[in-house]
Amino acid sequence: MKRTLLLYILSWFLLCNVLSSKGLFANGLYTEIEVPDGGCVAGYVKCTGNAGAPSIDLYAGWELPRASQVISEKLTVNKVNNGVKNVIVSISDIEKGKKGVVPQIHPVIDQQRSVFIPRVTAILAGTTVDLLNGDEEMHNVHTTSMRNQPFNFGMAYKQRISKKFDFPETVKLSCDIHKEYAWIVVFGNPYFDVTDRNGYFEICDIPEGTYKFRVWHEELGKREKEVMVRAKKIENIEFVYE
Amino acid sequence: MKPKGLFYKFGFLSAAVFSCAVMSVNMRPTTASAIEIPTEVTEEGKNVYKKYCSPCHGEEGGGDGPLSRSMIPKPRDFTRGAYKFRSTPSGSLPTDEDIFRTISYGVPNSTMIPWDILTEEQRASVIPVLKSFSEAFEYREPDAPVEVGLPLRPTERTILEGKKIYEEKLECWKCHGVEGRGDGPSAAEQEDDFGFPIKPFDFTTGKFKGGNSPTDVYLRFTTGLNGTPMPSFAKELSDEERWYLTHYVMSLVQPEECEE
Ligand code: HEC
Ligand code: HEC
Repeated sequence: MKRTLLLYILSWFLLCNVLSSKGLFANGLYTEIEVPDGGCVAGYVKCTGNAGAPSIDLYAGWELPRASQVISEKLTVNKVNNGVKNVIVSISDIEKGKKGVVPQIHPVIDQQRSVFIPRVTAILAGTTVDLLNGDEEMHNVHTTSMRNQPFNFGMAYKQRISKKFDFPETVKLSCDIHKEYAWIVVFGNPYFDVTDRNGYFEICDIPEGTYKFRVWHEELGKREKEVMVRAKKIENIEFVYE
Repeated sequence: MKPKGLFYKFGFLSAAVFSCAVMSVNMRPTTASAIEIPTEVTEEGKNVYKKYCSPCHGEEGGGDGPLSRSMIPKPRDFTRGAYKFRSTPSGSLPTDEDIFRTISYGVPNSTMIPWDILTEEQRASVIPVLKSFSEAFEYREPDAPVEVGLPLRPTERTILEGKKIYEEKLECWKCHGVEGRGDGPSAAEQEDDFGFPIKPFDFTTGKFKGGNSPTDVYLRFTTGLNGTPMPSFAKELSDEERWYLTHYVMSLVQPEECEE
């Protein structure tokens, strides 16, 4: 029991450190500059092998009619090109770059049929996220985080709450009533993207240089790769989980 | 599905319950405002912690002291700054008075006893020590305590209104069960933020961990219990509705179980 606790705490810290230490670092060290002739990095994140079977979530104690079962997007792999959805791509060691713009329109995370949509949200520190409940039943939104003040609110139908995330950190968002969860990953600089359903991502306006690109997926874990970025050029790269 | 008999038992129950609650209120140690809580860790605080608290809460406050091994619920891990019993909003750190109150009152149904064998000064002296275990206290300040309106007197009507909130509007029964026995459909496999199993509170026992007064119960569902699945219902209810819900929740206490 104690060992599992230790493991749990350790992995939690590792996860957070891995994801945010650089971010925190960057937050302190990141300098905003003009990037008139930056380069782009674009490509796909793929998963080979048959890990890609979608998982249907059966909630503890709840029997759902077939029609209302929602397929959780824990791991969604495109059948055509093996692209993985919801992978976060970022540059882990960037110290200088374009100015980050906090979006005026808040990103929304909705709860529909007990599932958080979208499952993965990547935002710039300082962004406000709107959480809502589109289901005609009670949910809760419960975050675990250290630097950003955590919260846990009951959400009645049509409730909408706005929460600002000020510090780079990986935040887990759960609904305890239905044992569903999602991720909000907060970055200290604007160089990040989340892959679409084809596994595609692009990050642009990067000052010339060599950087560590990092991908993270909740189930598949982390990969890192060095990429050389040239001015006004598009670099195509691919990350593969085997 | 909903127990019909309950309705008819209200009058009787509520009377019994409230006398039960009042008794425990009187037993509660009060937070004398005269007590000074030091802002810095003191030698005295360190010694008190080491002697009385670390066997359970651990040398470094990780909740992993030598006595903690087979304990459920686990002694609090102070490193995350997640405190269950607060007067402050969801996610906020607790105030020093909140911590003082918990130390003096203890946590019923757990191995955390009321520490009235310590003097009030000793109890106050460990507070900075507990806080020093978590970096959360460096990053954040506690928010202002939530406002608690003047208590309403429980009547059959307020209890009925509360029942509607419990069963329809906020669906507390999903975790706490229709009869409040902590056995709702979502009750199984609940986990706290530290990865340990946790059960929704069984209201029929009447031994509220955060205190038995109506104000305590009001505060628990208004602020939520940090680090647990128990949410804050701060945004959903007016002050009056909170008292209705408080009255209903307290009406679920079974007097026999309260007496022993
Ligand atoms: C015999 C074991 C034991 C000892 C000794 C002990 N505690 Fe605890 N303590 C616990 C347990 C178990 C809990 C968790 C109860 C729960 O969550 O239901 C707890 C919880 C707490 C909390 C939680 C408050 C909250 O709001 O979440 C505080 C504060 C606390 N203890 C302070 C102390 C202090 C100070 C001492 C020393 C004077 C002490 N404890 C000694 C077992 C112990
Ligand atoms: C997601 C499941 C969940 C929901 C929904 C929920 N609770 Fe809880 N509640 C819990 C858990 C788990 C605990 C116990 C935490 C512990 O033991 O430390 C708890 C504890 C409590 C307590 C504290 C009792 C004490 O020991 O002091 C009160 C009061 C309470 N709940 C009231 C409510 C009310 C009222 C509602 C509906 C508005 C509600 N709860 C909805 C899970 C839930």
